[in-house]
Amino acid sequence: MQLRPIAALGALILAAGLAAPSGPAAAAGDTIVFGSPVSLTGSLTKEGHLTQEGYELWKNYVNAHGGIKVGGKTYNVDIKYYDDESKNDTSAQLAERLIDQDHVNFLLGPYGSGTSFTVAQIAERKKIPMVEGNGAAEKIFNQGFKYTFGVLSPARRYLEGILQMTKAQKPPAQTVGITAASDAFSQEVAQGAAAWANANGMKVVYNNKYPDTATDVSSIISALKATNPDVILNAGHLQDALLVQKGLKEQNVMAKAYGYSVGPDTPDFASSLGKDANDVFGGAQWSDAVKYKGAPGFYQTAQEYAKAIDAAYHHRADYHNAESTAACLAFQYAIQKAGSLDTEKVRDALAKLDVTTFYGIIKFDSRGINLYKPMVVNQIQNGRLTTVWPALTADGKPKYPAPPWGQR
Amino acid sequence: MHLFAQDLVNGILAGGILAVVALGFSLVWGIMNIINLAHGAFLMLGAYLTYQLFASFHVDPFLSLPISFVVLFALGYLIQTYLINWVARAPILTIFLLTFGLSLLMVNIALIVWTGDQRGVTTAYSGANFTIADVTVPWTKLFTLLAALAITGIMQLWLTRSKTGRAIRATSMDIGAAQLSGVRVAHIYAIVYGLGAGLAGVAGTLISLSYAVNPGMGDPFLIKAFVVCVLGGLGSVEGALIGGLVYGIVEAFATQLDFTIGTQHISGSGLQDAIALVVLLIVLIVRPTGIMGKATA
Amino acid sequence: MTTTAVLRRIGLGGITGSPIAIAVALALMVVLLAVPFGHNGYLEIVFRNILMYAAMAYGWNLIGGYTGYVSFGQVAFFGAGAYCSAVLSAHGIDNLFADVALACVVNALFAIVVGLPVLRLKGHYFAIATLGIALALSDIVANLDALGASSGLAVHHVDEAHFYVYYYAMWLVALATILGTYFIARSKLGFAFVAIRENEEAAAVLGIDATRYKITAWAISAMMAGAAGAVFAPANGFLDPSIAFSVDSNVFPIVMAILGGAGTVAGPFIGALILAGANELLQRYFIKIHTLFFGAMIVIVVLILPRGLVWLFGLKGGARTWLKSLTAYKA
Repeated sequence: MQLRPIAALGALILAAGLAAPSGPAAAAGDTIVFGSPVSLTGSLTKEGHLTQEGYELWKNYVNAHGGIKVGGKTYNVDIKYYDDESKNDTSAQLAERLIDQDHVNFLLGPYGSGTSFTVAQIAERKKIPMVEGNGAAEKIFNQGFKYTFGVLSPARRYLEGILQMTKAQKPPAQTVGITAASDAFSQEVAQGAAAWANANGMKVVYNNKYPDTATDVSSIISALKATNPDVILNAGHLQDALLVQKGLKEQNVMAKAYGYSVGPDTPDFASSLGKDANDVFGGAQWSDAVKYKGAPGFYQTAQEYAKAIDAAYHHRADYHNAESTAACLAFQYAIQKAGSLDTEKVRDALAKLDVTTFYGIIKFDSRGINLYKPMVVNQIQNGRLTTVWPALTADGKPKYPAPPWGQR
Repeated sequence: MHLFAQDLVNGILAGGILAVVALGFSLVWGIMNIINLAHGAFLMLGAYLTYQLFASFHVDPFLSLPISFVVLFALGYLIQTYLINWVARAPILTIFLLTFGLSLLMVNIALIVWTGDQRGVTTAYSGANFTIADVTVPWTKLFTLLAALAITGIMQLWLTRSKTGRAIRATSMDIGAAQLSGVRVAHIYAIVYGLGAGLAGVAGTLISLSYAVNPGMGDPFLIKAFVVCVLGGLGSVEGALIGGLVYGIVEAFATQLDFTIGTQHISGSGLQDAIALVVLLIVLIVRPTGIMGKATA
Repeated sequence: MTTTAVLRRIGLGGITGSPIAIAVALALMVVLLAVPFGHNGYLEIVFRNILMYAAMAYGWNLIGGYTGYVSFGQVAFFGAGAYCSAVLSAHGIDNLFADVALACVVNALFAIVVGLPVLRLKGHYFAIATLGIALALSDIVANLDALGASSGLAVHHVDEAHFYVYYYAMWLVALATILGTYFIARSKLGFAFVAIRENEEAAAVLGIDATRYKITAWAISAMMAGAAGAVFAPANGFLDPSIAFSVDSNVFPIVMAILGGAGTVAGPFIGALILAGANELLQRYFIKIHTLFFGAMIVIVVLILPRGLVWLFGLKGGARTWLKSLTAYKA
């Protein structure tokens, strides 16, 4: 037996497999197909799964309630996923595959700013509208892209609410110390917070960054501690939020408030840290305490939505869930308004969209980002996430200043 | 002055963990000439084992140190005997590739078993600390450092005094001569690889006390292990310790660099990896086989 | 039977590797010319990435496979090349020839300056020094505001109708690396590289100026990776340090070169084609556990084909020799 024919056969199978389309063809009959590259493995697996849950919840709701009506015809929806391995460079290939191979009608965003930026490039080139709920870096929206829309408030707003809240306390907080991971999103969050503090009479006494791959942040915390800020802010991701919170306790750093851009809102934060997670603030795009009355066609209030997430996935609704679902809703209302699946018409309808949902107002500025929805501030109180700011939507009062370590 | 002392302490505490991470990696590389890309995955498994024992049976992380060691040792021993040994005489790069594949396998099995959730080992004493002369020292990290020193000491004694230890060192010096004097090389190699995995498991247990446990957690530590073991000198036990401490201290002090050239803000903490790596390059150029390495390669 | 004897009998050895494998690789390259005619952007990107990885694998192969200096830092050159394009684009110059030319010049100089001290190191120490250079460079770029720091740079690129230009540019880069490797391997240069790999002291005795040849090998390999990076950046349209210096771009070319057959002319291309193609298929059909299968595939290939896939082509005597040789590498 010769091995060369085997090698040739293997090559043929490979080639055939690559060229074959996978999954259902787009709008085949009565289905609208969305595509999304999300992080199912790699460092952002957790956030990627929350994103996918948000998409799936919407899909199941719509299909169970008769689908989307488009110009007299009803369509079911389907969503095609691929795993971007939490890497910025794989999402491009996946987006191309979704568009050219799987012929999806529209794109739903990946998780993260770097990946969203990459996919936005493809959406633009292919003229396929994308709505994303998980890439908050404003850089994405400053490129003049016409086909990318973000339902979330931009990165610079993430920690503003916490500063507003601490400044409204008596006596008001005066100094801020900021630590931030070095990725694009976290840097924008940190710059936004510092800019707000400077513009509103608070003093930034420490502002520094650490690499995304940091395994130890104790020296940054020592330097931060030496400046003795009233408010300590961290702009990063779940993994480093945990590292920083442990480090703050280890060095007995006492501040009046501790705030994170990402972390406290995810159940893992409290489950990993136990009591040490108490009294920490988190900036959030949404919480289940917000009091919007949404348009019909989906769960109309945050509370109904939270109940549905709990029933389907057995955990508390997280803002990553909500913002992902909101991205789907933007499509739902825009498609209905356009009365067509034509990408240009849907794009134009998205640009003009102005709708209130369980998540808040969805409306895009000329760059495609949603500046019309405020952020909220949550605090972990006795292990439970409580919305404490802005006062209108709050379901509890902020606990401020934080008690010493060990008494939480 | 106080920040200087605090940074020194931070650096030493962080360096102790890095020393344990690098120790097993350095032994496998120095003695068997295998660049073990699965080291980070072994570390991750050790951390998960600790987490699971803590979450399900309330086993204190320090008590699970020997369990991590034994379980990971067994895993490493089996992998060497049944997989790596199969291609032991193939080019070194082939084995390098094999460990890469094994690492992907283990990380993704962990992802299936434990999902991508971030897990933490937070004990009752976690975060407890004491202060001497304005320098704050967390108890867990201090005990972690002591454990690291003890492990290094035990390894050094075992390698120089025990019969197996001497056989290992003989094998690394001259494999032919060792074989002639009755050393079973395959068995020795399996023990060394098992030791490497076991030490990675121990490191994982220690790391789980301060770092979030997740399937990909081994990667940043693997890269640091590379640097630390070369910094100290390959295959050298005391080299791993010194390399770890140097790395930890350099990183700690690098963090406080902060100045501006023109419009470019230079942040030492953002550049802490780069600074540590430049130090590595300088050490290698001055001493091409590491701080504790032998004079010739 | 000794390992060497087995290898000789099954037809491995020689400085270029199996001529059949080279012919197959070149034939496949010709076939790949047709990809853009399918008007399928996805396949175009898949194969463009395969060509890109192949070019980088050839870069690694020259220094790691032929000269025996295993570098873990070739991504530094890829990233440097990519940033050359990004900087030119930021200055309003959008010309692929200029991009590639600048990337080659910058990388050659970079390789010479860094190579002088680093190539004095041997074996493991060289490997780690190169890894250190790549990681440090990535970190430094992530902190340089002029290069967009960690938020990256948008790189101007052409519209959809002309997107195939990048495909052919990458094809040319890959072809240049294959042919370059072939002619180098057959020239005095190639013999000098292999002499250094086999025994550097003995090579010196034969009058081979090891330092000069090592730096030559490294500079050429740097240009190969840099040229690939220079085409990649505008094709991708967006560049940040995590993309330019990604772990994948560092590890994949090495894995591809070894899996295909290190130190051969056809090996890296065949490795890139099979590995990237298989990865793509696994990713598509096993969405959640594709990396698991990818890992398993590598383990299995290493165990059954320890010298790389090129081995399949040079084999004399077919499956029987292969089965017999399976245990040849056992300790």
